[in-house]
This record gives sequence, C-alpha cells and structure tokens, in this order.
Amino acid sequence: MSEVCPAYAPFFGFAGVASSMIFSTVGAALGTSKAGIGIAGLGTFKPELIMKSLIPVVMSGIIAVYGLVVSVLIAGGLDPSKDYTLFAGFIHLGAGLACGFTGLAAGYAIGYVGDSCVRAYVYESKVFVSMVLILIFAEVLGLYGLIVALIMNTRATEARCS
Amino acid sequence: MSEQAKASNITEQTAKGGVLLKLIAFSLSLGIVPISSYFLSEKYVWNGNSNYAAITAVLAANVVLVVYIIVSILEDRPPSPSASTDRKKNE
Repeated sequence: MSEVCPAYAPFFGFAGVASSMIFSTVGAALGTSKAGIGIAGLGTFKPELIMKSLIPVVMSGIIAVYGLVVSVLIAGGLDPSKDYTLFAGFIHLGAGLACGFTGLAAGYAIGYVGDSCVRAYVYESKVFVSMVLILIFAEVLGLYGLIVALIMNTRATEARCS
Repeated sequence: MSEQAKASNITEQTAKGGVLLKLIAFSLSLGIVPISSYFLSEKYVWNGNSNYAAITAVLAANVVLVVYIIVSILEDRPPSPSASTDRKKNE
C-alpha cells in the first residue's frame, strides 16, 4: 500500500456512508415524532384535517430519503478492485457528514414547526399556507447538504494511487 | 349535537375518500419511487453517471411531496352538503 492509498482509506468512505444515513434518519425521526404529537392533538378535534396535517411527516420522510440517496451514491463509488485514495475517503466522509448533519437540522426544524403550526391550524385555517412555506424553507436546508454532498462526490474519482 | 350524531359524523367524514388508502399509497410511493428512480435512471438514462441519478431521485421524491400536498388541498375543497342536510333533518 502506498502513502496515497493506505489500507485504512475505505474506513472513511464507509464512515461517510453510515453517517449520512444515521444522522438524516435521526433528523427525520425528530421531525416525525414532534409533528406527530401535534397531529394527535389535532385529530381529537378535527379528524377531517388529518390529511393536510400530515404534511410535516411526509417532509420528514423526504429528509430521510435525502440521506438514503447520498448513502447509496457514496456506496456505489466504493469498489475494492479499483484504486481508493485517502483523498477519496475524506471526500466521502465529508459528503456523508454534510448530508447527515443538515438533515438533522432540517428534521429538527420540521418537527417544531409542524407541531406548533398543526396545533394552530385547528383554530385558524389560514395558517396552512404559512405552514407549508415554513416547512419548505426548513426542508431546503437538507437539500443544501445533499447538493454539497453531490458536488464533493464528483471529485472523488479523480485522484490516483501513484 | 348529541354524542351519537357526533361520532357518526366523524366516522362518515373519515370514511369518505378512503383516507387510509391514500396514506398507504403515499407511504409506499415515498419509499419506492426515489430509490427505484435512482437505480433505473442510473442504468437506463444516464449511462452509469451516479450524480445525475441522485438528482433524479431527489426530484422524484419532491414530486411525490408536491402531489401529496395537492391531493390534501383538493380533498378539503368540496364541503359535504349531503352530511349537513342529513344533520338538519335529524335535528
């Protein structure tokens, strides 16, 4: 093994795969659970609004999908028969962490916004539009992390061992 | 409104439109559509370029989200005039 392609380089690559999935799932779980509390509260008063009030939960699911897509993307670039430089390992770790932590932030925001907006939606129906707008802004945070992860991943195959 | 009328009103409104069926359909599509679009587009559309396939998967997931929002808004639109006239007849 050379200095540029050490044996421990795939550790960082797989750590990127894992961290992308783990942290974005934690964010999605936070969002789903916190919004679910508000939805259960709304459901006791107005069950006909349940379909609309589940929008925060769907958006939390999309955050988890972002993490899944980045994990699959990074894992697709790991191949034991090809050169794997330490450079590529660090790139994959950075991409996974970028997507994972932004997904955590986005899920956290979606949870709190979803909970309080859904509770307010019981009393005032005009809250719905502002709830969707705020949720879209919260979800775009996760999308930024995914874009950065994609941009980083395009550089991973450019380095060579020798 | 009496308790029995309230309970029947709630079950009538939730039974209309098959809310559970829609939710199951959207849950399944949110799980299946992005990852399948990733692999299928990587193989057949983008000739192995995985970054474009990831963008396609993200777009597919967001399309599912937008369709869900539209369906939930459209579900609320027409109020049920038959339910309100039934309530007036019972009282």
